[in-house]
Amino acid sequence: MPFDPITYAIPVFVALILGELLWTRFAGHHSAYEWRDTGTSLTIGLGSTVAGALTGGLTTVLLAWVHGFAPLSIGWAWWALPLCFVLDDLAYYVFHRSAHRVRWFWASHVNHHSSQHYNLSTALRQSWTGFVALAFVFRFPLALIGFEPGMILVCAGLNLIYQFWIHTEAVKRLPDWFEAVMNTPSHHRVHHAVSARYLDRNYAGVFIVWDRLFGTFAPEDDIDRIRYGLVSQLGTFNLFHAVFHEWIGIARDVRRAPWRHKLDYLWREPGWSHDGSRETSDMIRQRWNRQP
Amino acid sequence: MPSALMQFLASLAAIFAIVVAAWLLGFRQGARLSSEAEARELFRLAPGGFEPVEMNLDAERRAAIARDRAGRIAVLAPHGDQFVFRLLAPESPILAQGDSLTIGSMPDLRLTLGDSAGVWANTDSDDNKG
Repeated sequence: MPFDPITYAIPVFVALILGELLWTRFAGHHSAYEWRDTGTSLTIGLGSTVAGALTGGLTTVLLAWVHGFAPLSIGWAWWALPLCFVLDDLAYYVFHRSAHRVRWFWASHVNHHSSQHYNLSTALRQSWTGFVALAFVFRFPLALIGFEPGMILVCAGLNLIYQFWIHTEAVKRLPDWFEAVMNTPSHHRVHHAVSARYLDRNYAGVFIVWDRLFGTFAPEDDIDRIRYGLVSQLGTFNLFHAVFHEWIGIARDVRRAPWRHKLDYLWREPGWSHDGSRETSDMIRQRWNRQP
Repeated sequence: MPSALMQFLASLAAIFAIVVAAWLLGFRQGARLSSEAEARELFRLAPGGFEPVEMNLDAERRAAIARDRAGRIAVLAPHGDQFVFRLLAPESPILAQGDSLTIGSMPDLRLTLGDSAGVWANTDSDDNKG
């Protein structure tokens, strides 16, 4: 197994969560945390590390296999790491956008959005089923270009570590230059919001420039209090429900759907239905825009 | 003991410590609506949209019930310190008992509505569960 920076970051995560708990308590933000919600978030996080340990080796083997087809091998050149980090973040943007626009990938990602709170513990609601959902294929292009599989995985780990600290309401706005280039708590609060105008916005991992470039950026306004979670809130702290409910929903929909629509429930956007009985994020936005 | 197992157990201990800290620091309050405007906002965020034309908040603001123009009835039910929207099935029994309202499909939810409770009921007595 290659070096995994996340393992070394976990104690820092724990310390920062305790710090945020204390800060929000003494700042009087009584709804920043909820003890059962926090327990669910952290346990899902622990489960995701187990899932990662079980499938990480296979991901490495697959990346190495794809790397074998690369026309050149970049190796561990000094300049390769920052370049790989930037390109890996672009790959993350594509993955993340797909994770919100294709139900198959959404089923794996949805648990990250299942909390109605937005704090550092929410960041750890990571997927258990990313490997099953084939999320790793989004990093194949990097291996095909010639980046070392180990370097790709280190960059992926660093990317995930960066995203931890942006899951907070404790930080309002950062200097303009930073907000312009980097993903920040403000940008990512928008991503976790359920308001129509914020749905499917700000997919960035580290660099918000991808959203600005590809037309998916929305700034946070200070008009309304942001509501977090899912359009259809789960209403349970059961971690297994949070992790698997969308997979179960897909299975149910595929079973019930007419034959010609069965696959649609896998690759169409979340909320799509063959009889129009549900709403996609685009439909929600259109309905909201029609309201006086 | 393998290091992976040690790491797993240490993580479990850390989770326990954080959850206990959250509880001790008071992050265990129930949900409470600040106003009718907040309840209306939460109803409007519902999947498919829900515009209340008639609405009552629980006396302690721990839940709300509303009807939209199409006659659909929905509730805001507490979940931790937040609320979840639930649209009631048309046949869902709604029972008034004094100033309280209970809903057949949500046995844990009781709304204290005062005189308004009877307005929402769709079943006559405790014997009639709809």
